[in-house]
Amino acid sequence: MSAPVPAPPVSGYRSPHARGGAGFGRLLHAEWTKLRTVRRWGYALIGAVVLTVLVALLAAGGSEIKGGGPSGPTLGPNGRPVSDGFRFVHQPLTGDGTVTVRVDSLVAQKNQRPNGREGSAAPWAKAGLIMKASTLPGSTYAAALLTHSHGVRFQYDFTHDVAGSDAPPDRPRWLRLTRAGDVVTAYESADGVRWDKIGATEAPDLPETVHVGMFVASPMAYNFERAFGSTGVDGTFTLSTGTFRDFSVDGRTEGPPRVTDVGAQGSGPGASGDGDAPTSPAGVTDAQGNSSSESGGVHTIVSTGDIAPMEADVDLTQQGLSGAVIGLIPLAALGVLFITAEFRRGMIATTFTASPRRGRVLAAKAVVLGGTTFVAGAVAAAVAFVVSQPLLRGKGHRPPVYPELTLADGSVLRAVSGTALVLALVAVLALAVGALVRNTAASVTVIVVLLVLPQILVAGLPLGAARLVVQATPAAGFAVQRTIEDFPQVESACLPEDGCYPQGAGAGLAVLCVYVAVALGLAVWQLRRRRA
Amino acid sequence: MSAGPAQAGARPGSVTAEAGRARRHACRAEFAKSASLHSTWWLLLAVAGLTVVLGAAAVGTVDTDQCRTPSSCHEDTVKLSLTGVWVGQTAVAVFGVLAVAGEYGTGTMRVTLAAMPDRTRVVAAKASVVAALTAVSALLAVAGSVAVGRVLLSDAGFTRANGYEPLSLADGATARAAFGSVVYLMLVALLSVGLAFVVRDTAGAIGGVLGLLYAFPVAASLVSDDAWKEWLTRLAPASAGLAVQSTRDLDKLAIAPWPGLGVLSLYAAGALVLGGFVLCRRDA
Repeated sequence: MSAPVPAPPVSGYRSPHARGGAGFGRLLHAEWTKLRTVRRWGYALIGAVVLTVLVALLAAGGSEIKGGGPSGPTLGPNGRPVSDGFRFVHQPLTGDGTVTVRVDSLVAQKNQRPNGREGSAAPWAKAGLIMKASTLPGSTYAAALLTHSHGVRFQYDFTHDVAGSDAPPDRPRWLRLTRAGDVVTAYESADGVRWDKIGATEAPDLPETVHVGMFVASPMAYNFERAFGSTGVDGTFTLSTGTFRDFSVDGRTEGPPRVTDVGAQGSGPGASGDGDAPTSPAGVTDAQGNSSSESGGVHTIVSTGDIAPMEADVDLTQQGLSGAVIGLIPLAALGVLFITAEFRRGMIATTFTASPRRGRVLAAKAVVLGGTTFVAGAVAAAVAFVVSQPLLRGKGHRPPVYPELTLADGSVLRAVSGTALVLALVAVLALAVGALVRNTAASVTVIVVLLVLPQILVAGLPLGAARLVVQATPAAGFAVQRTIEDFPQVESACLPEDGCYPQGAGAGLAVLCVYVAVALGLAVWQLRRRRA
Repeated sequence: MSAGPAQAGARPGSVTAEAGRARRHACRAEFAKSASLHSTWWLLLAVAGLTVVLGAAAVGTVDTDQCRTPSSCHEDTVKLSLTGVWVGQTAVAVFGVLAVAGEYGTGTMRVTLAAMPDRTRVVAAKASVVAALTAVSALLAVAGSVAVGRVLLSDAGFTRANGYEPLSLADGATARAAFGSVVYLMLVALLSVGLAFVVRDTAGAIGGVLGLLYAFPVAASLVSDDAWKEWLTRLAPASAGLAVQSTRDLDKLAIAPWPGLGVLSLYAAGALVLGGFVLCRRDA
């Protein structure tokens, strides 16, 4: 160890500022002053709002309901539109009881493609047991069923779906429904001896006497034909055949099984006075091709139809907010300029001299920019939603398929604030790219290509590639605009270009956030390394 | 309205010769400015590179296995191979915008106008040089895309045995699509130059050009009414202009190939005229 070093001479001047520059609050104030005082940037914010609203108006004005729209849809127990049509071989059951059957097989008819080649079968073709309040469509029910490609399920009141084992449709499977008071429990078994519970539900709306029995339903099967620039979705009606054996009702019942085509023509509400649909004799084939027969305890039911929630094909909220894709262009320009303008004018040297911690400067910029664009985005999204809804209503989008929504509804609020968040994140992404590339034109272009081009190209790419594009690019964030609940128990023909994202709202936002975080990280690293 | 016609009556040869020399000088000056920027060469490279890469990616997604029979694919293979133009045009737009707005940013524009007081000539020279450089890189981009498409498509089953002629520029429709794409990119460059003269600000101009190119197709994808879709496609500079790439089902197009390119040239001409007008009227 050397001799102690003499103390350095005390300098006459000490800066009144704290080491490392001013506090974060002062930094925010400085950045806010910069943003506020450039008039063009204000125009960019206004431009974003105007563009978002204009494109939303355009999209709403040019929308039409294909095929005239559904007229008087069947409503389920909770008031939402449902599909409820199937052939039902049933007996009344009063009070508690158990109904059991062995489903020998479910053969789902494959749809025919125009060239005669075999298409695909409906994956949600189903055969099983159902316990239903009445034979009117839309009445409350609970069902244990075997599906074509989703195994055994317990479904009740249209929107609820509980998975059982993944038994194949060509192997016999035992199903059982038990009612004890208000509780309906579903069981399945491979041999009729050892029973596994699938699920149970409280069904307080079931009347004292319910209809129990066997059913088959077979929804539409879809084929997707896709060539660049054109998509053909053809949905065809299918008939599926269920073979049942050893049907038994254990409880207070009466009479032989009757046959009803639930939801068929003439069975709608008001068709019969006693609240039940008319029944037809077994063995008769109706106009839809439904038929059923019984010989030696073996029931064969051939039926089309479905028991599932009905999904609206247009998301009105999403359509009202769709202008944000274009509205983001001025915000991207603003985000880029918020940093490249400083590089260009040499202002950045002053900024970094006043506040040497460059990461904090970028953070302050991101906070100020993100906050401002969030507010502008929220205004844009809210106005776009409010002005587009009356237009869409005028086009014939009416409840109950398209429920009346206001800004106060949870799903709308989420979509509107989500859109504002996406726009703010895009602006921050633009800021980070601008800090990284330092070239205004190139940065703006990168953002626009990443966010807008996917929306154009997606319509032409093959389905797999299109889904990948809307999942993996920053444009995935727009999934937050979708408010229609997607039910897995319904196969829909909705494509990415129609606004159906394979990912949920949260996952989509997360993808965008990852892009923003990575870009910000790289930008901070570069700012520290490179000369300002 | 200068004294041009009167003088031309007196000594026609020397005046036109002088005008021609001035034009050549202007173009040479613009070329020198462009050529001395690194960004020019990077952007021209990007035009070709992006176009070929996205074209290859698009072609890579098709296969005759996806069709009912190998010979029944209803695929516009030419258009598919030239998909990359959708991305390549962004680099063209940046190039066109930077050629003008870049000068405003650095203040070079004042020097340029001092050296060439005839402002119409400045616009003309800039437009010519940008269009010519774009044409060179667009030719590379399109030729590369067709060549890559030819190789990849025959690997994917689009062979003569299955009834598909390999892509070739000797085919009339393919040649029209390829040549049309080059013209398309040149027109996008001109549109960018014109708009940059109007806006004078890099971010504003690039935002404007990209907005014009992309907003219409996005809006068209949002509306469901077929009549609206058709009109949006006809009015859109990008969608109408790129109709020139179609080689199949021409009767189903919203706008025919050459009229479609005509729509884009109206936009480009409008932007250039407006840009020239604004330049002549305003202080630099």
